[in-house]
Amino acid sequence: MGTIFGLSIRQLTGKWRILLILFLAALPVGLAVIVNLTVSGDATFNEDFTNILLDGMLVAGILPIVTMALATSAFGNELEDKTLGYLVLMPVARWRIVLPKVLASLVICGPLLVVSGVVATLLGFDGEIRPAIAVAVSLTAGVFAYATIFTWAGLITTRALPFALVYVLLWEGVTSSFIPGVDYLSVRGYTLAIMSGLDESSFPALEDRVIELPAAIGGAVVVTVLFLLLGVRRLRRMDVP
Amino acid sequence: MSESRTPSIEVRNVSKWFGSVVAVNDVSFQVQPGITGLLGPNGAGKSTILHMITGKSSASEGEVTVLGQQARDNPELYRSVGVMSEHEAVYAFYTGREFVEFAARLHSLDPTDEAVDRAIGLVGLEDAQQRKLGTYSRGMKQRMRLAAALVHDPQVLILDEPLNGTDPRQRLEFHDAMTKLAEQGKTILISSHILEEVETLASTILLMVSGKLAAAGDFRAIREKLDEQAYKVRVVTDSPRRMAAALVGVDDIDSVSIGGEGELTVLSRNVGTLQRSIPRLAQENGIRLMRVEPLDDSLESIFSYVVDR
Repeated sequence: MGTIFGLSIRQLTGKWRILLILFLAALPVGLAVIVNLTVSGDATFNEDFTNILLDGMLVAGILPIVTMALATSAFGNELEDKTLGYLVLMPVARWRIVLPKVLASLVICGPLLVVSGVVATLLGFDGEIRPAIAVAVSLTAGVFAYATIFTWAGLITTRALPFALVYVLLWEGVTSSFIPGVDYLSVRGYTLAIMSGLDESSFPALEDRVIELPAAIGGAVVVTVLFLLLGVRRLRRMDVP
Repeated sequence: MSESRTPSIEVRNVSKWFGSVVAVNDVSFQVQPGITGLLGPNGAGKSTILHMITGKSSASEGEVTVLGQQARDNPELYRSVGVMSEHEAVYAFYTGREFVEFAARLHSLDPTDEAVDRAIGLVGLEDAQQRKLGTYSRGMKQRMRLAAALVHDPQVLILDEPLNGTDPRQRLEFHDAMTKLAEQGKTILISSHILEEVETLASTILLMVSGKLAAAGDFRAIREKLDEQAYKVRVVTDSPRRMAAALVGVDDIDSVSIGGEGELTVLSRNVGTLQRSIPRLAQENGIRLMRVEPLDDSLESIFSYVVDR
């Protein structure tokens, strides 16, 4: 698995991709610095910071986009370049091909996103540790779930990126706003619920609109495992070009 | 082909369709140790068949086994099978050696150095192994891909268009390497459109046309079986018109035509008649025979005949 993990790291760490990810990961931090300097004393600062920066920008936007940029390419590039044969024509169990591909995406984007979220939260909450930890744990769960979903997407379609965007924008963005209960089937819903559940006092703005913490944790675990298994199943059954 | 030994590769009543397009239609054959050539025009179904043999795709119907095991969804089989696909893409950021080491590690070879050195030596790329694959010529990439397919010393080797991009010297080296492997008892299945190379290399031919197996066996045996097709011979003499007149009167000679520079093209379904008549008639008529040359004693002519039929 280490061999395929190493290959995947090399494939995913192209210069422009890394620069884009670094830029995106820096945005919440930059914004947190600006709002901290300008409006930190406002009565609604905590609520606005949570809704706009943590939810609107980081969880709903940057988290899925950065993960998508990496995870859809994990197999997407191999299929497009027709190099997947070098992996599947080897005596390697299919899960030992899928798992390192997922881990490679996680290792690259996970720490960047978590650090971005933690730093932004520390800036927004005057250095308080507890909300920063809640954000770190929730983002980690979100990265894991998105990584397995988008890696699977890279195996089932050559248009994984648009597929992922439709999922994020339509399902998690629009549909969850109008239909109650969609958050039980939404990585964004799990992420926000874990954040709120671990530190309710810091995120009162989320309290009324997130699902229960146990459901969120269970959902994140189920989605992560399910899409990992679906990815393995897909690799076993697909016709490799 | 002898069917008395357990075949290395067995394809039994295999069909593959993509929607309404039938790419392979009820094909059956066995491949024994030695070198077998898989030939056919573009779209004949060669790559589709190879994909099923290598397990990259599933058959819509029928069964494919390699070394007695199912080819599909069986990663352990690749410990004994080496595959070089038709796609020439490589990981450009790897050096040649790293690429072969990558294959060796995925085969769990330990240590890898000896196997990697041997494989790279077989393809003659020792001097270039530290260069990035992205800097290689097409022929060099092919050779390094072959090294990666050979690094684990497989019992069965499946090569799809392995000679693409290679020059004549490299083809000769490839010929020698494959011959040596075949002498060791390996099973080598080569798909190629370079007929003259397959002709000199393969002891057995599988000819695919329009998704079906059109012919199988030694190419001369295939030719002899096509007895409804007349044999064609070129005859060059110092007196083509007199030779033509003499030949026309012989039973079993189907036609005689005079071409440019006095060459005769003689057609007959009976090769024995041709072999006896030409020198006899030349002697009887005082005609000097300068050249007698079979025009269809080659894989290409069989290929063309079967494809056009």
